[in-house]
Amino acid sequence: MPSFTFHPDYYRYYFGPEHPFSPVRQEMLLSLLEALEVPLPLDEPAPASREALCTVHAPAFVDAVAQAAPDDPTTHDTAKGLGTADVPVFEDMHDAARLLVGGTLHAAQAVASGQTPKALQLGGGLHHGHAALASGFCVYNDLSVAIHHLRAEGLRVAYLDVDVHHGDGVQALHYDDPDVLTLSLHETGRYLFPGTGRVHELGRDAGKGYSLNVPLEPFTEDDSYLDVFERVVPYALDHFQPDVLLVQCGADAHFSDPLADLLLTTQGFERLFRRILALTDEYTDGRAVLTLGGGYAPDATVRIWALLILLLQNHPLPDALPADWLATWSEQLDATLTPTLHDAPQAFDIPRRDTIAAQNTQVSKRLLELVAPAWYQAW
Amino acid sequence: MLVQDLMQAPVHTATADQSLGAVYAFMQNQQVRHLPVLRDDRLVGVITDRDLRLATSQLRSDPFDPTDAVADVMSQPPHTAGPLDPIEEAARLMRQHAIGCLPVVDGEILVGIVTGTDLLDALMRLTGISKPGGRLEVRLPDETGQLARLTATVARQGGNIRSVLSYSESANALRVLFQVDTIKTRALARALHAEGIDVLWPPIGPPTA
Ligand SMILES: [Zn+2]
Repeated sequence: MPSFTFHPDYYRYYFGPEHPFSPVRQEMLLSLLEALEVPLPLDEPAPASREALCTVHAPAFVDAVAQAAPDDPTTHDTAKGLGTADVPVFEDMHDAARLLVGGTLHAAQAVASGQTPKALQLGGGLHHGHAALASGFCVYNDLSVAIHHLRAEGLRVAYLDVDVHHGDGVQALHYDDPDVLTLSLHETGRYLFPGTGRVHELGRDAGKGYSLNVPLEPFTEDDSYLDVFERVVPYALDHFQPDVLLVQCGADAHFSDPLADLLLTTQGFERLFRRILALTDEYTDGRAVLTLGGGYAPDATVRIWALLILLLQNHPLPDALPADWLATWSEQLDATLTPTLHDAPQAFDIPRRDTIAAQNTQVSKRLLELVAPAWYQAW
Repeated sequence: MLVQDLMQAPVHTATADQSLGAVYAFMQNQQVRHLPVLRDDRLVGVITDRDLRLATSQLRSDPFDPTDAVADVMSQPPHTAGPLDPIEEAARLMRQHAIGCLPVVDGEILVGIVTGTDLLDALMRLTGISKPGGRLEVRLPDETGQLARLTATVARQGGNIRSVLSYSESANALRVLFQVDTIKTRALARALHAEGIDVLWPPIGPPTA
């Protein structure tokens, strides 16, 4: 039985009503699972300690976050990313942010101790957090703190990031570590934030060959995405032989997401999640720590994460969503919600479809060519 | 960006009376392909690995000997750049004369060297990113105040512009690619569109339209 980690105070990680990184997504998700009568026992984590944060973050950065007060601009250290357009300072930011880290750490501890093979943290996934820079809605990097814990337990960690944005913080924080494989599939950073995640970013020193990036063309659809996933991910896991998989399950690669340009459907996400779960059976004895992540179209994001939870529990997938739940939330959001778990069948009008798929194939081949010398010690 | 910002310094040199063989070995050792040549501490020419290979090639009717002097083979007088020249000036000179490097001289003194590789580094610095950010691309009429309109709109939206690249697309249009410090580039794109600015990326409508 997988374990689930959540704390009501996750809702305090809140940048304000105009900001897309909204706790409403978790609120909708939990109420949907309740309406679907899916039992979901939730572990409440404790906030991460300063010591745990400092396995990843510079002490001066932690101090700057702890001192940042929304009403006092002199405490907003913009050089550290605090008080910027993407990371405005809010009340008790430090405590809210370290609780999210605590949740991911709790999930990692549950898996490392053998208490459960799989743990899902219903929050976190703040993959843009750097050692001394808050960025892209992320203050502390919960994923990286969890990786440090798993490493301290002697586990080799494969980090898989399917958020539409490059997992730049996690990559940078483990760039020279050969015992942490980071693997990010994302929309190309040619235009999209954060701009990194090119195929030639392969790691540094002993870590060379243990950072892998698959930058995908804008308007990439399910089939091309899953084809590229299949070319790269099993191959990399087979080479790396991880003990545990850490997965950032951002939902912003969905076609309706307002912040990016990939065109995945919920059907694509179902195939992707099934494949990831099958790979844990194949390579890590089923061990996986999973987190949420980006996802800025609440309607799609909530259905994608509900799918993930249902698949984790081996629960049959419902077709229609509960009418009461739909009524409540469409009123609260003042928006029409998709009435079924899956998207209605989509037919996108993409003029360059073949070129896009061909370019993605090309990029994944190039990545494997570039990494081969590092893996087979032939520099 | 000025020549002094990207030149290599200190710079390896050869002397005019050195043998070709000695200079060839030196280039191999130091992994360089271009050497300014000095005589009495004054710059008198440039010798490249290509000069050496052509001069000593067995395909020539009269190949030079490894013991011949650098002075017999080097290009002279050398084309040079000054440390305060803009890099585009250095690039133009190198293209015009089809050469791969420019010794940098401050008055009479050799202070560095700029090669084609350094110019590629400059291109990467100009187009690359140093901090996380998103990019937008627009097409502006080539008229007074258009760039100001663009930057003012971005500033009103709270965006911080990190870098700007632009080039003439045609006689009356300027392409501008700029990086901002935010993940929310679509909102910026909509604001620019509302100002009547032609936004080429990101898409401003729903992605399926
Ligand atoms: Zn994202």
